[in-house]
Amino acid sequence: MFHDLKGGLSRRRVMQLGASVAGAALIPGMPNLAWAAGEPPIGTWPAGSQGDTVSVGAAVPLTGSYAAQGADELKGWELAVEHINTGHELMKKLAPKVDKGLLGKKVKLLSADSGAKPNNAVQSQQTFINDNKIIMMTGSTSSAVAVALNKFAQREKILYLAGISGSNDTTGKDCVRYGFRQNFFGQTAAAAIGPVLLKQFGKGKKAAFMTPDYTYGHTVTKSVNDYLTANGGWKMVTNQVSPLGTQDYSQYLTNIANSGADFLINVNWGRDAVLSTQQAKQFGLLPKMTLVIPYQIPFLAKEVGAEITEGVFAATDFWWTQEDQYPLAKLFVDAFKKKYGYRPEWGAENAYVSFAHWARMVSEAGTFYPPAVIKQYEKGETIPSLLGDVHYRPEDHQCIRPVVIVRGKAKKAMKNDEDFWEVLEVVPGAGVMQKPDEFGCKLGDYT
Amino acid sequence: MPMKRPHLVELLTALGLILVPFVLPHLGFSPSTINRILIWGLFGLGFDILFGYTGLLSFGQSALYGTGGMFAAYLLTEAGFPNVIAAIFIGAIAAGVVGYLVGLIALKRTGIYFAMITVAIAEVFYFVEFNPLSDFTGGENGLPGVPAPQIAFGSTVLKFNTDWTMYMFLAFWYFIGIVIALRIVRSPVGAILSAIRDNPLRASALGHNIHGYKLTAFVVAAIYAGFAGGLLGTMQGFMPPDAFLFETSGQLVMQTAIGGSGTLFGPLVGAAVWLYLSDFFQNVLQLGATWKLVLGVVFVLLVFFLRRGIVGGIVDLYRLATGGRKAVDPDEAAETSAGTAFDPTAIEAMPSRRRGDAPVSGPILQATGLSKRYGGLFANSDIDFSIEHGEMRGIIGPNGAGKSTFFKMLTCEIAPTSGKIVFEGRDITGMGVTDVCQLGLTKSYQINQLFDRLTVRQNLIIAALGETRGKFKLDLFKGLHKVPGLDERVENTAALVNLTRRLDTAVSELAYGEKRRLEIGLALATSPSLLLLDEPLAGMSPRERVETVALLKAIARGRTMIVIDHDMDALFELVGKVTVLQEGRVLVEGTPAEIKTNAKVQEAYLGGVHGEVA
Amino acid sequence: MINWANFISQCFNGLVLGALLALISSGLTIIYGTLGVLNLAHGAMFMLGGYAGWIAYTYTESFLVAAAAGSLFVMIVGVVVERIIIRHFYTRPHEDQLLVTFGLSVVLVEAVRFAFGSLSQRVPPPAPLVGITDLGFMIYPTYRLALLGIVAVALLVLYFVLYKTRIGMIVRAGIEDSVMVDSLGINVYRVFMLVFGIGAMAAGFAGIVNAPVVSIAPDMGEAILVQTFVVVVIGGVGSFPGAIIGGLIAGEIISITSMFNPGYSYIMLFLAMTLVLVLRPHGLLGQAGRE
Repeated sequence: MFHDLKGGLSRRRVMQLGASVAGAALIPGMPNLAWAAGEPPIGTWPAGSQGDTVSVGAAVPLTGSYAAQGADELKGWELAVEHINTGHELMKKLAPKVDKGLLGKKVKLLSADSGAKPNNAVQSQQTFINDNKIIMMTGSTSSAVAVALNKFAQREKILYLAGISGSNDTTGKDCVRYGFRQNFFGQTAAAAIGPVLLKQFGKGKKAAFMTPDYTYGHTVTKSVNDYLTANGGWKMVTNQVSPLGTQDYSQYLTNIANSGADFLINVNWGRDAVLSTQQAKQFGLLPKMTLVIPYQIPFLAKEVGAEITEGVFAATDFWWTQEDQYPLAKLFVDAFKKKYGYRPEWGAENAYVSFAHWARMVSEAGTFYPPAVIKQYEKGETIPSLLGDVHYRPEDHQCIRPVVIVRGKAKKAMKNDEDFWEVLEVVPGAGVMQKPDEFGCKLGDYT
Repeated sequence: MPMKRPHLVELLTALGLILVPFVLPHLGFSPSTINRILIWGLFGLGFDILFGYTGLLSFGQSALYGTGGMFAAYLLTEAGFPNVIAAIFIGAIAAGVVGYLVGLIALKRTGIYFAMITVAIAEVFYFVEFNPLSDFTGGENGLPGVPAPQIAFGSTVLKFNTDWTMYMFLAFWYFIGIVIALRIVRSPVGAILSAIRDNPLRASALGHNIHGYKLTAFVVAAIYAGFAGGLLGTMQGFMPPDAFLFETSGQLVMQTAIGGSGTLFGPLVGAAVWLYLSDFFQNVLQLGATWKLVLGVVFVLLVFFLRRGIVGGIVDLYRLATGGRKAVDPDEAAETSAGTAFDPTAIEAMPSRRRGDAPVSGPILQATGLSKRYGGLFANSDIDFSIEHGEMRGIIGPNGAGKSTFFKMLTCEIAPTSGKIVFEGRDITGMGVTDVCQLGLTKSYQINQLFDRLTVRQNLIIAALGETRGKFKLDLFKGLHKVPGLDERVENTAALVNLTRRLDTAVSELAYGEKRRLEIGLALATSPSLLLLDEPLAGMSPRERVETVALLKAIARGRTMIVIDHDMDALFELVGKVTVLQEGRVLVEGTPAEIKTNAKVQEAYLGGVHGEVA
Repeated sequence: MINWANFISQCFNGLVLGALLALISSGLTIIYGTLGVLNLAHGAMFMLGGYAGWIAYTYTESFLVAAAAGSLFVMIVGVVVERIIIRHFYTRPHEDQLLVTFGLSVVLVEAVRFAFGSLSQRVPPPAPLVGITDLGFMIYPTYRLALLGIVAVALLVLYFVLYKTRIGMIVRAGIEDSVMVDSLGINVYRVFMLVFGIGAMAAGFAGIVNAPVVSIAPDMGEAILVQTFVVVVIGGVGSFPGAIIGGLIAGEIISITSMFNPGYSYIMLFLAMTLVLVLRPHGLLGQAGRE
């Protein structure tokens, strides 16, 4: 690896560089320009962890349709880094060996706007790697970004922790050795919310789906529909596929209104979800049909209002009222609310927990050397999260964690202006995860 | 463009590319940023040929960038194609083919319409990439795992898989790209492209198939875009779907504007500024989400104050510093010309063209029953008109008599409502102005139609190229000085219209009389066998009139000419026969002497409100 | 087999969407027709109208006030932008005009994001228009029905302004022949300012009356801008009736295609545009010679 020109660049290499740029690169017999990396150095190791701080990079949407969710995630990471550096009580519980820093070094969070675009995300991370020698990267809010950064992580040999990413592919067919995901995803959401729906409403119902027209949408719709059809004899009466960034859903909703469905299963995400849900209400589909959101969007309830989310079923990663059952959740919600003035949604929770888990793995491994950290994850040890014990699966690097099923509260039942959902069930992760090899995961090399 | 030091630009570019790795990192550019700048720069080379040189502002380049990149990435990942460089080339060709098809639709219109259509077409590509073709393109996930390029020489394998080796790879291709682009803009095609930018109407009237050249520029830009897209995939090991987004096109346009369009290097410089500032605002100033706001403000200010972009500004500064001596004061030039008593008759005009086996005697042009109706209004009705080889004819008539409309029909700028025009024995009714010019029939305009941003020499070159090259020829890589007889023709024409001293002056700096002469010179440089002159003397000083009449006499040798003018003294001195139009009809035809004494003509002029008495 | 109830509903959706597109596009087209400037910040004006209305609504709880404030504010923004920036670009090449308005749209969108964040905001419809109306053959959201009327009235007002007032006469004369306007001895610059304001206001008004349907967010203008381009190209650049017909056609194509395969709605829309370009390069009601 030859990242740093300012650093040791021998005279001979300078000559080679110059000569090759002039076109001489094609002369046969030139030494291989990919200077083979000698053993240990890998990725930004050890260069990235030689000072008294280590940097981590987040590429997160701050502009564009996912900006609201991105800003929330960023707060989760900020809080986690602050807690690592100050040795906060919560961080100590999640990662006991963290002591006002990580292996004696402070952690610094760098962030850049990805606009939820894979290209921008890769671009920012590449710059962070070059300029700041980041030792870990994170960020997504869109599976496309997660998949791109996954592959990029494997190529650059830098650890990557997925932010919000609901696609099965992230730890499925596009999984990598260097990538880890804490949060729930399409398949788990379907397997978790399916039984709840069957239990509540029985068999043989008719469902209309609204699917955003990209891979994430199609996989989630398939997962949910497969489950409901196979186990409950439900029928998909229509599947309305809309392009990303649709403003007016009237034509799709009209088709649904004429389909005779009892349930409206809305797989849209971000602003698409907000608009389609609001307009479903305007068209009188709600509350006539029961709205199901298999993959809950942070801030959805805030944006569409409780009058719409009342009675809606959703699967999510975390809801703040779980602070009543889980002491660590309470610590988190309190710390977050104190710093940012509102209660965190699951984007921030996932951001925080994934960082805490990473800090735990690094401190347990006692080194930043990436393969060692990965192997620490792959021990599959049971570790705490905000919602009880979890573990990372060595085969696909997916965190086996519970899925939270919530139902929207009526406005008058809300105890405060953020009390949108009541938690119906916390479905243990082990039962809802597919087999590790089911989605074709092949992790790749350590070095 | 006279090249005193050929290949100087190429040499400096090569030198710059070699120095970059030693300089830019110290200014805070990381190697991966530099690599991206090169890709944007290469992408922008094609775009600059399209926008800066041809004047076609496309907001749809993302479609071609994405197409080329996806095509290459698909070959390399899903299809198992082994050779990265070959795949990039195939992708570029695919983008070229797609560009050709898109161009066919988008170039139906120009200007703002064109910009809107390209936006819409690019949007279609985005939808198509996302859904119907997602099996090939990976939909929103794009195509990860694009391999790094490598070149094998026997047992030695050159792998470009680190930032700086990738830099060499990209710099090499950027260099090739700039060499090709420079050749294109210095070729006859390049000259015609800038003519299209400045005045498409005149470019086509000078016998150039401008649609063909615009399509050429579009395809060239598409190939560059496709190639850059392929490089993006291999550079970051991942072909992103966002290459197809409108924002990609928008960023390209903004970078080109910042750097300076029409300079070839503008997009590269613009990309450097853009990427540097976006890094700087985000990582150094820690602006968070506000970075885009600040960058937007910077962009608006740049467009507002730096009209020609950074490179354009530097070029202007350089000219200001070194070019002061070049600019000749128009008054001074006029004085010199007066002092040397310019005499066009001393100069032998280039012969008019002889095409095919058309007879050299008898009527060169015959119009029968020519009518033009606008709504309910007849501009011309039922005109019969004929002119002999070698004749010099004058057309007069009060304002609104339909003289200019008549000329426009003869040169096929507008189609007649009814009637027939035969030129050198060929029915040209309904042909285009370009084809007619190629046949040897052209006109000089009543209102100057020049290529304002170019020099006198470039103007004349563009006019002369129509004759020497035909209406469409793809000599993209030929130097202008290699076109046989071109320089001779340009200098001869310049001498005829007394603009030899002003050859390297920009048209915008010419005095009015000089522009009028150039207007005639443009028509003349096409070597027409029939030359129409629409009010050549309009707005000229008495002395200029005398000179121009002498000029017209000189060029009339061996040529047929029709002249419209209000200066009857001058006209009657020039022509052998006069046709008088009134209210769209032929009133009378005869020798100047007959016309002067004709009662109908007297009445037409004296009775008319606009009476300019003969 | 076509379900007729569905078909009628879809036609209705197309009508509502089309009317809205028509209103926004007519703003774009009269600015272009008169000033020769294609305002790429038109989508941002649409968004600004929504936000200005939303702020007015939060303070007054009155939709009427919101609609008035929203459109008025955008008109003022339009006038100010014209005075400070656009004015200096009339004599500059078209490309510079596109660039500066493009930059302006980035600035406006990001300024709104900076001020109000990225979360979308709601403006509820006026109380009497909440709910659903049963039309017998179909049920339809009341506000959307009303929206059709509101937009129709707005278009009528615009028609009146363009065809029955002195300023409208000048605007139309300018669309047909910009040289003529110069020779009329009218203070062209004042007219230009007003036209830019009115054009922006059309978009701003659309932004606020559409807010109860879609809720507002900083990025809402971008998608609509591309659709208005298609509308203008179909209808003919610079033509007010063309914008209306183009809008309705675009709305119907999007809605009716979605009955068969929603994924192809936009592709069909662009195909239609291509078809128009091939058959009638100047658009359905456009005039030759205007580029």
